[in-house]
Amino acid sequence: MSVSRIGAVSAIALAGALALSACATENPAPAGSTQGAGSSASAGNVDCFSGDLAAEGSTAQKNAIAQAIKSYQEACADATIDYNATGSGSGIKQFIAKQVAFAGSDSALKTTPKDGKVEAEEAKNACGSPAWNLPMAAGPIAIAYNVNGVDKLTLNGEVAAKIFNGQITTWNDPAIAALNKGVTLPSTPIKVYFRSDESGTTENFTKYLQAAAPSVWTADPGKQWTGKGEGKEKSAGVSAAVKSQDGGITYVEWSYAQQNQLHMAAIDTGSGPVELTGETAGKAIAAAKQVGTGNDLALKLDYGTKEAGVYPIVLVTYEIVCSKYADAEQGKKVKAFLKHYASADVQKSLEPLGYAPLPAEVLTKVDTAVDAIS
Amino acid sequence: MTMTAHDETRPGGTGSGARLGTTGGTGTSTTPTDPGRRDLIESMDRPHRGRAIKDHVARIVMWGSFVLAVVPLVWILWTVASNGFHMITTSLWWTGNQRNINTTDAGGGARHAIEGTLIQAGATAAIAVPIAILTAIYLVEYGRGRLARVISFMVDILSGVPSIVAALFIYAVWVTTFGIDRNGFAVSLSLVLLMIPTVTRSTEEMLKLVPNELREASYALGVPKWVTIVRVVLPTAFSGIVTGVLLGLARVMGETAPLLILGPYTKNFQRDLFNGNMPTLPTMINEDRSDFALSTAAERMWGAALTLIILVLLLNLAGRFIARRSAVAK
Repeated sequence: MSVSRIGAVSAIALAGALALSACATENPAPAGSTQGAGSSASAGNVDCFSGDLAAEGSTAQKNAIAQAIKSYQEACADATIDYNATGSGSGIKQFIAKQVAFAGSDSALKTTPKDGKVEAEEAKNACGSPAWNLPMAAGPIAIAYNVNGVDKLTLNGEVAAKIFNGQITTWNDPAIAALNKGVTLPSTPIKVYFRSDESGTTENFTKYLQAAAPSVWTADPGKQWTGKGEGKEKSAGVSAAVKSQDGGITYVEWSYAQQNQLHMAAIDTGSGPVELTGETAGKAIAAAKQVGTGNDLALKLDYGTKEAGVYPIVLVTYEIVCSKYADAEQGKKVKAFLKHYASADVQKSLEPLGYAPLPAEVLTKVDTAVDAIS
Repeated sequence: MTMTAHDETRPGGTGSGARLGTTGGTGTSTTPTDPGRRDLIESMDRPHRGRAIKDHVARIVMWGSFVLAVVPLVWILWTVASNGFHMITTSLWWTGNQRNINTTDAGGGARHAIEGTLIQAGATAAIAVPIAILTAIYLVEYGRGRLARVISFMVDILSGVPSIVAALFIYAVWVTTFGIDRNGFAVSLSLVLLMIPTVTRSTEEMLKLVPNELREASYALGVPKWVTIVRVVLPTAFSGIVTGVLLGLARVMGETAPLLILGPYTKNFQRDLFNGNMPTLPTMINEDRSDFALSTAAERMWGAALTLIILVLLLNLAGRFIARRSAVAK
């Protein structure tokens, strides 16, 4: 009996100690302590809210929104904004399920039925008011490659489509050589990597391939890859794969290609090779047409453009918001944050991260739309 | 004549031969002086050599399998520890959070995630442990007949439910049916489903180990059944039950599927189970994993993984420590 007593007592003591240590960790450290994040940017005209704001969606805008959140939180110590980069499709689903205040998506809400459901209608029902697509960042898609000894590469829509659907299999193929005079191309086999998860990047890239080479790329554009190659998860996965594979090629957001220091192909749309820069990609955005009505700013990009100096492969990532929030408090929070996100300072800070600036004209419209959120 | 002698010694000879077989090489030390007997023993030695070979082969295969099983374990531990070590040695790691630290920024803390994991595990235990222990008491002390068999069967089924199914079930009830936001408590509820069967089973085993004589002695003194259970059976099995609870908790803390579905990550401190996103170590690992090509994110990922391993290890050690002192085991 005494043995069992000792066992019991020590067990209680241990359980107690565990409970105590659990309590100790619960002891709050100064809430919302900023980690010595240098000088917090001057509050400026940031409209601060206090509390939590949750959003979810596109991975393509993760780096952009993270930057906007950081500068907002630095100005507003009581505000907490969470953005979970789970993918455009998932973000829209959670938005419709009313789990998040707004969703990030690489494509505007669909207005045509799919599986008997219309995204825009579902979002409208969830909001109790029309949902708006607000463009916030433009992410050029780079064709990133890794070929030993090749620092400069030019492709056009047709050759790119042939590479990505497996018709061209070696780097010294005459079709590639014809576009790259004066470049010594090795006979390395081409290794294509694609996004294995459902991705807005895949959708926009295949839209480009279809528009630029309709006779070669016959599959319908979509979030799921239909070409050849080896699947890797998320942007980080394809970037890492290309980085470590001689002969590798993939399509990936500019910011990831930059972060991983990958070579990027220039695109020849018919009037000479165009390098990917903020300026050349910005021109493609500026040429986009608004297809939404009123404050719904869904854009349609012209992927088949032949204009000189325009880098055609870009995606616009949207914030999907309710025009009128059932919870007025939540509406105020969304408005305050998006106002900050669309501000000139923040938009400017996105460029070094690999995003193309939105044209001033679009930004003005976004600003008006954000003001109309209630 | 010799034949007769041989025959006479035969029973003894077979006996020692059989013993030789079972006790391995030790039999040779008792080599008899009688030449006939020696012949006999030598003839019995031949199959013995065959057995020795089999014994060696079996031993090598067993050790080989053991090493094979240990190699990945040591490899994983070494990889995680060597990559995550310098992250968790900074004091900020244990005091700070990830607020305003983007993927390309280095460092930051994991305290928000550690707290979240501990709070969720605590809430899970607070709900699951009473249910599991009461179920086990019913099954061992009261349950007879069909109801007990059904319950026992249900516990078996529940223990076979994959964690993702438990998570989707809670999502269907919590979000789709009732329209409540995902939060830390929803995560705890799905973890409860995973913890109940493990704790019920381990508690049952512990209660079965309590000698019946103790119960009978108590009844003989005129003590009612429920008092016997509360004052005699449970205290005797107490340390064993606590071990089971801690091991169950350790298992639940490393769960990932319910967290990904029900517990969106946040980089901030969040101690409220019922409002807002709650950070946990597995979701922190997942967050940084999506940018593993960047050394800054990869470092945090390894650090968080090591921290989680350490937390689970501590709980397991606590469980073993209490188990060693288990009165019932003795």
